[in-house]
Order: sequence, then structure tokens, then C-alpha cells
Amino acid sequence: MPRDGAALWRMLSAQTAAVALVALIALSAFSALLLAAGGNPLKAYADTVVYVFGNAYGFSELLVRMTPLLLTAIAAALPARIGLINVGAEGQLYMGAWLATGGELALQDHSAFVVLPLLTLLGFIGGGLWALLPALLRVLRLVNETISTLLLNYIAPLIVSYFIFGPWRSPESASYPQSPAFVDAARLPTFFHSRVHAGLIYAAVCLALYWLVMTRTRFGLEMRAIGGNPEAARRLGIPVFRYILIVMFVAGGIAGLSGMAEVSAIQGRLVSELSPGYGFIGFLVAWLAGTSASGIVIMSFLFAVLSSVGDMLQITQSLPFSVINILMAGILFIVLGRRPARRTA
Amino acid sequence: MARIPVMTAALAAVAALWIAAPASAQNKPPLTVGAIYVGSVNDYGYNRSMKDGLEEMKRNIPGLKLIEAENVPETAESERIMEGMIQQGARLIFATSFGHQQFAFNLAKTHPDVYFEHAGGWMQAPNFGNFFGATQAAWYPMGVAAGKMTKSNTLGFVVGVPIGYAIGNVNAFEMGALSVNPKVQTRVVVTGGWSDKAKEATAAGALIDQGADVVTMHVDSPATIIQTAEGRGVYSIGFQSIEARQLAPKYWLTGLGFTWGPFMTETAKSVIAGTFKPAMVRDGLGAMMTIAPFGSAVPDDVRAMVTAAGDKVAKGFNPFTGPVVDNTGATKIAAGDSWGGDKMGNFDWYVAGVIGKAK
Amino acid sequence: MFGPLLYGVAASSVMSGTSLLYATLGEIVGERGGIVNLGLEGIMLVGAASGFAMTALTGNPYLGLAAAAVAGTALNLIFAYLVVSRRANQLATGLTLMFFGLGLSALVGRPFVGALITGLPKLHLFGGGGARGGLLNYDVLVYLAVPVSVLIWWLLFRTRWGLELRAVGESPAAALAAGVRPPRLQYQALALAGLLGGIAGAHLSLALTLTWAEGMTAGRGFIAIALVIFAKWNPLWAIAGALLFGGAESLQLQLQAAGADVSPFIMNMVPYLLTLIVLIVWGWSRQTAAPAALGRTFFGVE
Repeated sequence: MPRDGAALWRMLSAQTAAVALVALIALSAFSALLLAAGGNPLKAYADTVVYVFGNAYGFSELLVRMTPLLLTAIAAALPARIGLINVGAEGQLYMGAWLATGGELALQDHSAFVVLPLLTLLGFIGGGLWALLPALLRVLRLVNETISTLLLNYIAPLIVSYFIFGPWRSPESASYPQSPAFVDAARLPTFFHSRVHAGLIYAAVCLALYWLVMTRTRFGLEMRAIGGNPEAARRLGIPVFRYILIVMFVAGGIAGLSGMAEVSAIQGRLVSELSPGYGFIGFLVAWLAGTSASGIVIMSFLFAVLSSVGDMLQITQSLPFSVINILMAGILFIVLGRRPARRTA
Repeated sequence: MARIPVMTAALAAVAALWIAAPASAQNKPPLTVGAIYVGSVNDYGYNRSMKDGLEEMKRNIPGLKLIEAENVPETAESERIMEGMIQQGARLIFATSFGHQQFAFNLAKTHPDVYFEHAGGWMQAPNFGNFFGATQAAWYPMGVAAGKMTKSNTLGFVVGVPIGYAIGNVNAFEMGALSVNPKVQTRVVVTGGWSDKAKEATAAGALIDQGADVVTMHVDSPATIIQTAEGRGVYSIGFQSIEARQLAPKYWLTGLGFTWGPFMTETAKSVIAGTFKPAMVRDGLGAMMTIAPFGSAVPDDVRAMVTAAGDKVAKGFNPFTGPVVDNTGATKIAAGDSWGGDKMGNFDWYVAGVIGKAK
Repeated sequence: MFGPLLYGVAASSVMSGTSLLYATLGEIVGERGGIVNLGLEGIMLVGAASGFAMTALTGNPYLGLAAAAVAGTALNLIFAYLVVSRRANQLATGLTLMFFGLGLSALVGRPFVGALITGLPKLHLFGGGGARGGLLNYDVLVYLAVPVSVLIWWLLFRTRWGLELRAVGESPAAALAAGVRPPRLQYQALALAGLLGGIAGAHLSLALTLTWAEGMTAGRGFIAIALVIFAKWNPLWAIAGALLFGGAESLQLQLQAAGADVSPFIMNMVPYLLTLIVLIVWGWSRQTAAPAALGRTFFGVE
């Protein structure tokens, strides 16, 4: 981290310039592709700019979209600091949502002051436990966490579906499989008549804590030591295994928080389709950001803007929303190809 | 330094955006209607039927502007899309899939000057109405067709999600079949989702392997199942859109389709005139639903029977009139009792003759 | 009752397992060279969409199959360029590839949604026909699945190319020292993997169903990645695995049709749970059949 203001400014500008350049290249290629497909890229971008920056709702939706990404990105970034690869944020999100829903169903008659903190805790624990399993397997030298978190990603939504089709099926709408609606006390509050919800606060808190811990505490130092050279760290007396377990639990818990926020704030109940890939996109965000807190914010913002472009393409030009993945992937390809795989910032 | 060319490029891009931004000035349409579909309109099924209805509405009201979005998932994403349409000027929104209900309802609260019509739900508000076809009884004549045409006395029914309404469809189907063929049975396979093509193909195959020689379905798109049946030389009965008959030139029997056009036209006109009244509309054969043309394999006497059964239903015949026994032997509708339209979502049991578990 | 049930399960396992098998074979080839491709799902989707599009345009499903193979190969070569020549992180690149394939296939397939095509024709062997299909009544890809698996096995274990590739997968440095050029081999392996992945996708849209829909692979690419591990990176074991995993998927549907009460969700978990359990067992007994160079990226248990 540069020490003086001028150097900091130069570094940030250089980074921003690099990002802008990459974005511009990818954008041009994508625009060409859209033109070939019969779309009107300039109009789409223009519509997006107007929608996103020209009115409060559009901007608020950006924040709504960023929220789960911020959380799942930390869920990937935190373990990355000690050299672990957590691609399991998707599953951890679902399990956080699942446990939170279980709690909600059991706590129907209490006030929000009691219910919400409890649900938050349950969301954290649900995701945390789901990440703890791969951590245990890693510590016991049985299975590498990359593959175990990946596999668990696919089991978690099936568990959720099993419950909402079965024991947790809503009787009031027996005609549609979903959990009963959350009582009002269990709904995270929203702000300013938009859909921006308290999950954003969770994300902000987690980000702040993440930055604080990594840069200002002994833990952060020890984690970076492990990430640099686990053997040396062990010889220095750092309890590597303990870190693996705790860090994965916390990371999973943070992803679980995003799941809890999805069911409590956005959906208002447990449904089978909670996440359009937030876990994977979060991983990519963390990777792009070099696992730095500020990078995570910038990249989440970028992806949120891309999603809005996707909406516009769909509404105004009848192109499938999914084409936005081409642009997102294109940007990533360019970045992946430009710099050698580097360690944490 | 790279900064200067990049800044210039960025400024140029912004300038280009601002030049492109002003939308072409158009004549103001009498109404802009937004519609979201859960899948693709080329599905020969539910979404196609919605599209056909909207196109009819558009033809009936000259100058009307229609904004559409396909493949809108039944999640919070749909709220975003609908909001986007409202920003583009839509004042009437058709949320065509069940799972869009909550999100459309949320928007109805924040946009009291925009009108919403949701398909298949129950919520209502001053600017939020609900509509759907009363499908259950309409399946009775389909059962008649299947019961007469089957030789193996085994019928196959693929269900996407085992909601009460779908189970009711299966029940009416079996009852219609039983009315002309006391030995016939219906096997049910649930795929777990409204649209999973690979599973639907496998499910249809499984039913055929178990002896079904007539296959039908309640999923978003009948295409895959009909094509699988056609490929194996098995009769099929379509659902959602009568266009599905194009998929089975040889073995198509008949089918049910939705005719949303008149309702949609009326609703749009009421919005233009300022006379919108929210309602819970459930119409069946003769109004929102129709029986598809018969396939070449269907003989005249069967056609007559099916048409007669259809007319009976259109005139108010309710197959769910007691006594009705389920497939475990328990009496579910007592003699003298009957289940009306409000109970169609409550089915969690299959009638006798259906092989499957509803719960 | 069991007769038709067994027959039905066997028949539909073969049908659903075929695309899994091709995808798994491709991934095995890549991973034997030390490269894990998490974007297999994207390759399959692009294969499915291009195959369908070409068939709809030309009316010839075999041309569609060719288009799928070409598309899959081309896409995987992009991946190869990034991870081999630019040394990009394999996992991040793979995930990116998945998203890229998701979007590209949606774009390519969109004009053709709802098109009616003649799919890969079913070829009767040994007196097939009729509703029951006879004993052997499948498309060419099904018949070729086992021969291709054997071919890949032979390629990997009985040819010089395979030997060199496996050497690269064990240790690129050692291979280099022995005069082998890892990048060339890895490119070739990934091209082959892309071809097989494209074909795997095409089977879904040209044979199993005759449609294209966004995201229609529904996670099969990831099942294939699990299957590679389950099969211990051996193409012959992959055949059994594909039947098993394909069978699990169709078993629950067949059981329902036969009247049994089975939760589709529990059944769908089986492939993943099975793989996890198998991995734990191996870890316990300290076996790792994995190519060592996959280690750092994927399998490095310290």
C-alpha cells in the first residue's frame, strides 16, 4: 500500500485506467456481437445509463444487486488469503437461507427485535456449517476443498427443494411449492421505498470487518503468513488447522448471510430458485479484485451495472438476458489473459 | 501515460451515448402494455398461448404498443423487469406466470396508476386483477378421447409440479377416461419443474415403457413430450396451446388450448377507458379455453363423443360431484357434495384409477 | 412389473448417460494433461445450441453434430490459450468459460427456439421398431459411446501421445526435461476435450430432446466433472459411471411411472453424494489416482 497520497492516487488511477481500458475493449467486441445479432448496443447502453443513473429506482436496484455479490465475494476472498479455494458460496447461501427459514417457522410469534437477530445468526450458522464440512475434510487430509465445496453447491439447493416440496410446504398456497410467507417480524427492513434492504448493512459491516482484520490485526498477519507459506507458518507456531476451520466457517457464514437476506428481504419466503449464480459470480469478483476490500466493492458494482444492461437488452431489444454473460466473461477473459495469476494484494 | 487516451475514449463514449440516447420521437400509442413470459414464446405451450392472446389484443386495438420479455424467472428479477417496463411507459402489465405474482403485487402497491393482470394466482388489489382458465373440468373430454383411443388401457400423464390444480387436471382426465372405459388407468410421473426438457423426454419414455399408449402432460411446453411420443409411435394429447398439434402429424389426438385474446382485449380497453375493475376471472371451455382440432387418427364417433363432452362442460358440467373415491379407497367427495372452482387448488389426492402419489 | 421397469431404466440410463459419457471422456483427457475445466457446462451448452441451429438451418442432423463438435473445440481452444499460454488461473478461467458458454449459447440458439428438426435418426439393430423400441434402437452417438471410450483409453494408455500427455499431467517440468513440449500436448488435449464436450451437448438437443432451451444442460457439465473423479480418470470406468449417474437421474422417473414413491430431490443428490463419499474413502486409504499436476489447482492435499 503506497504511503503517500500522491502515490496512492497514481496507483488507483492506473488501476482504474486499466479497468476502463479492459472494459472498453470488451464492450466494443460485445457491441459488435450484438450488432451481428440484430441488436442496438448503443441504445441499450444509453437506456441503461438513463435507467441506472437517471432515476432513484434504477440506482437502488444496483445496490440491491450488489448486496449478495459483496457477501459471496468475501466468502471466496477470506479463505483465499490462507490459500484455500472456496467455490461453495452458492451452496452456503442456500443453507443459510434454509436454516434461517427453519428458524422463522419455529418463531412465528415474536417481535422483530427477537426474530431478526436470531434469523441472522441462523443464516450465518447454516452457511458456516456447510463450509465447515469441506474444511474438516481438508484438515483431515481427505478431500481438497475445491472439489468438496463444488459438489456441495449442488446438494444444497436439492435439500431446499426437498423441504419446500415436503415438510415446509406452504398450506395456504398448497397449489404452489414454497415455504409459507415470512411473518412481518421476520422480514428485513427496506429503505426509502426501494428494495435496498438491511442486507446491504450486513455487507458493509462484513466488508469493514474483513478489511480491518486483514490489515490491522494479528490475525490478518498470521493469515497472510499461512497464505504465503503454510509450512513456514506452522513452524512459527501458527495453528494452521485451526485457521482453516475457523476461516472456512466464517466465510461460509458470510455467504449464509446473503442467503438469509434473500429469503428475508427479497423473496419473503423460501423458494427453490434463490440465486442466479451469486456464489460463482462472487468468486469471480473476489478473484478479479485481488481479494482486496475496495476491489470487491468496485467489481461488485461493475457486475451490478452489467446486470442492468442485461435487463435493458431484454426489455427493449428482446435479446435474452443471458447474453450479458458474454460481456462479463469477455471482460474476465481479457483480465485473465493480461496478468499472471497473482497473490493477494 | 495511459490516462489521457483512456480519458478521451471515455469522454467519447459518453458523448456517443448521449447522442444515441434520445429515443425516436413517435406518435403516442393509446396504451403501452408490458408482458413477461416465464419461458420462450416458441414453446408450442403456455407461453405461446399467452403470446397469441397478446397479439390478438394488439390487433384489436390499433396503435397499441407491446413490450415483452421472455425467459423472465419467477424470482425478484421479474420485479426489476416489470419496473423497467413501467419506466418505458407501460400502464398495463401482464404477469403471465404463477411465480410472478408476489413481485407484480409489490409493484402494484408502489405504482397505483399502473394496472396489473396476473395469471393463475389469487391476489387482488384496486389495480391488480387475476385471471386463468378453469382447466380441471376441461380435461374431462380429453380423458374421453384417451379412454376411447387407448388399446393398452394405460394412459400416461407427465406433471411438472404437483400443485393442486395439476392434480385436479389429472383427476378430471382419468374420470373422463373412466366414463367411456371402466378399465383404464393413468400413470403419473412428476419431473419436479415446469420446464426441464431432458427430464420430460425421459419421463415420457418411462411412461411409454410402462405401457402407456396415450401420453399427455401439464408442463409449460408440451413439445418435448409430444415429440417423444411421436417418435415412439404413441398417441399424444396436447395442453396449453392448440398449436402443439403441429408437432405430431401422425399420432395427435386432440388437446386443450387457452384463448386469452378476448379477455386481454377487454382488459386493455378498460384501462384505456379508465374503467378497469379488478376481478378474479376463471373461465373454462367456451371462454378462455378451447378444444384443439382432432388428429387424423381419431374416428368420427370418438370426435362426436369428445365434442359432446366438451359442450357438456361448457354448459357447466362438474365432474367433481360426489361420491368420488381416491386411489386408496377413501371417499373424498361425499355423495351429494361437489367441489367447485374455489376448491380446485386443494387437490392432494388422486382419484381411483390413477397410479401415483399426490403428496 | 420389474421387467418393464428394468428395461425402462436401462434404456433411459443409456439415453441420459450418453451425453454424460462424452463430456466425461473429454474432461478426462484434459485433466490427464493437468488441466481442469470447470467450464464444461458452457462447452456443452454451446455444442447443444450450435448443433440445434445447424440442424434447423440445413435439415441435416449430422451436419449439426459436426457444427457442435467444431463449436466445442473452438471454445475450448480459447480456454486453452488462456490457461496454457497465458498461465491464467484454471478455476477462475473455467468458471468464466461457463458463463461465456451460457451467454453465447443463448444468443446462438435464440432464433431457433421452437424450430422443429429431425434429430439424429434412430438406427435399429437386431430387430427394433414399435413402441417398445426393440432391443437396440438408438442414435449413432449411443452406439459409438462405448467404442469411443475404448478409443480414448487406448489413446491415453497405449500410444506415445497418451504417454506424453500423462507425463505432462504428472509433472510438466519433468516432461519438459524429457523433451516433451507440454503446451503443444495440452492444446491438443483440450481441443479433443472441446470436441467431445460439444458432441455431448449435441446429444441433448439432437437426440434426447429435439429442442433447444437456454441452460438446458441443467448442471450435467458439473456432474461430468464429478464423474471424472468417480471414474478415477479412466475412460473405461467412466462408462460404468455414466450409466450409474445417468441411471440415477432416470431411475426416479421410472420408479414414479411404475407407481413407487420416491423423492426426486433425494434421487438427484445421488451423483454428488456418491462422488463425495468415494472421494472420502480414497482420501482415507490414501489413494489418489489423480494426475499429480492437477494437484496445485485442484487436488493438492498437503
